Amino acid sequence: MARTLAMFTDTSLCIGCRACQVACKQWNELPSEQPEWTGSYQNHSTFTDKTYRLVRFIEKPQANGELSWLLMSDVCKHCAQAGCLDACPTGAIYRTEFGTVNINQDVCNGCRYCVSSCPFGVVSFNHDTGRANKCTFCNDRIHNGLGPACAKTCPTESIQFGFRDELVAKADKRVASLKEMGYKQAQLYGADSKGPLGGLNAFFLLLDSPSTYGLPEKPLLPQRNVLVDSLLSVGSALLVGVGAVIAFRDRGHGGDDA
Amino acid sequence: MGVTMLKSPDWHLLIVWYFFLGGIAGGAYFTAAIADNFGSSRDKSVFRIGYVLALLLTGLCGILLILDLGTPSRFMNMMMNFKFWDPMSIGAWMLGVFGFFAFVSSALSFVGGERVAPLRRRLSLIGTVSGFFIAAYTGVLLSATALPLWNDARLMGALFLASGASTGMAAISLLLYLSGESAGDGFKKVKRADRYAIMFEILVLAAFLVLLGGAAGPLVSGHLAPLFWGGLVVVGLVVPLLVDLAGFKLPGAVPAALVLVGGFILRYVIVMANA
Repeated sequence: MARTLAMFTDTSLCIGCRACQVACKQWNELPSEQPEWTGSYQNHSTFTDKTYRLVRFIEKPQANGELSWLLMSDVCKHCAQAGCLDACPTGAIYRTEFGTVNINQDVCNGCRYCVSSCPFGVVSFNHDTGRANKCTFCNDRIHNGLGPACAKTCPTESIQFGFRDELVAKADKRVASLKEMGYKQAQLYGADSKGPLGGLNAFFLLLDSPSTYGLPEKPLLPQRNVLVDSLLSVGSALLVGVGAVIAFRDRGHGGDDA
Repeated sequence: MGVTMLKSPDWHLLIVWYFFLGGIAGGAYFTAAIADNFGSSRDKSVFRIGYVLALLLTGLCGILLILDLGTPSRFMNMMMNFKFWDPMSIGAWMLGVFGFFAFVSSALSFVGGERVAPLRRRLSLIGTVSGFFIAAYTGVLLSATALPLWNDARLMGALFLASGASTGMAAISLLLYLSGESAGDGFKKVKRADRYAIMFEILVLAAFLVLLGGAAGPLVSGHLAPLFWGGLVVVGLVVPLLVDLAGFKLPGAVPAALVLVGGFILRYVIVMANA
C-alpha cells in the first residue's frame, strides 16, 4: 500500500476562475454541456457525468448589504469509507493503492446503485455509455508521477495535491492563521481520519458551516443501517409466518391425510 | 442557501414492477410452503399454483432487472462478487437461489406423487427463507442509499415483506378463483391467511410512518399523497379487509384484485418519491 494521496482545497484562496473545471474537462476529454441558467454564476448546478470538478458560487450578503460569494471548487471526496464503493454489486468501483476511488468503465453495468449511495451526490450516470462515472483523481496522472489536472492548473494554489498526512498538517496551520485573521468560522471538512467516513481524501477548508456550502454537516455511510433493517425484516417474516401457519392449520380431528 | 444535492438512481417503472412481482413471488412461494406443510391434501392446488407462480415471476423479474441496467449485456458481472453487506449483491445471488427452489418445488408438485412429498415439504421450508429474502431485501436496498425518505425508513424491508405476503396470497386467491376452485377448502384458507397478512401489513405500515415522522412527507403529503392514501391505504388495504370482515358477498376476485393494486401502488409511490 503506497502512501495515501490527497487533494486539499482551501476555499479561502479560490477566486472563482474555474480553471480547474476547464482543466478537468480537457484532461478527461469530457464534452461541454448545455449550460443551465439558474440565476447563478455557477455552472453546472450539480455534478454530472461530464462535470467532475465544479466551482460552487454561494451568495452570502455582507452585513453592510453588499453581495459577496463563498467560493468552493467541489469534487469527488474519495472517501476513506465510500458509500459508492460499498454499494457497487459488480466490483467495478475499487480503491487504488493511493487511497483514491475509481469506477472501472469496463466492468460497470449501469445499475446506478452507486449514484444513489453517495452522500454528496457526486457519482453520475452517463446515458450514452450506459455506465456511471466520476472524478478519477486523474488516475493516469498519479500513476505517472503527476498530480491531478485541477491542482496543476489552479492559479492561487487553492487546490493542493500531495501526501495526505502532509496536507493535513498544512491545513491545520492554515485554519489557525485564518482564525487569527478574524475568520472565526474557518474550519476543515474531511481532514480528520477519525471523523465522518474515516476522513475524505479530497478534503476542504471552509469559511462557513458545511450546510452553507450544500455539504452534509455530518456525512454518514448510507449502508450503516443494513443490519438493523435486515433484523426488522426477519422479525416481520416470523410474524407473517406464524399468521400463515395458524390460517392453514387443518381444523378438525386428524384431517384426511392420516 | 446550501441544499445538499443528492442524486436519484432514476429507477422507474421497470423497477417498480420488479419490486411488486418479486414480492408476489416470495409471498406466493411462502404461502405454498405453508399450505404444503400445514394444510391438508385438499390444499394441493394452493401449493401447485404458488410454486409455479413463484417460478414464472422469478424468471420475469430477472428479465426486468436486466432491462433496467445501463449496460444490460454485462448483467453477469453481478455474479463476480458476493458482498454480504451489500443488499444488491446478495439480492442478485438470492434471485438465482430462489429461482432454483421455485423450480424444484414446482417440479416436485407435479412429478413423483406422494413419494416425493416429504422431500418437497422440507425443501419448501428452506426455500421459503430465500422467498422471504426476495420480498424484503428490496426495501433494505432502498434504505441503504443516501436519499431522503429511503434512508430514513427503518421498516421498509419489513413492510415490503408484509406486502409480499399479502399480495402473494391475493395472487394465489385470484388464480384459484379464476381456475374455478373458489369453493374449495384451499381457497378459504388462503383468504384467511390473506386477512391476517393484511392486518399485519396495516400495522407495519402505521409503524413505518410513525418511525419516519416528518421524513414521510413525500408519501403522505406530497403529490403522491392521493395515491398513497386513496390507492394503497383505502383501496388496497382497508376496503378488502372490511369487505372480508363484514362478510360482504363480492365476487371472490375483487378483494384479491384490490390488494394487488394496493401492493403495486405501495412500490410505485416509494420508488417515485425519489424518481
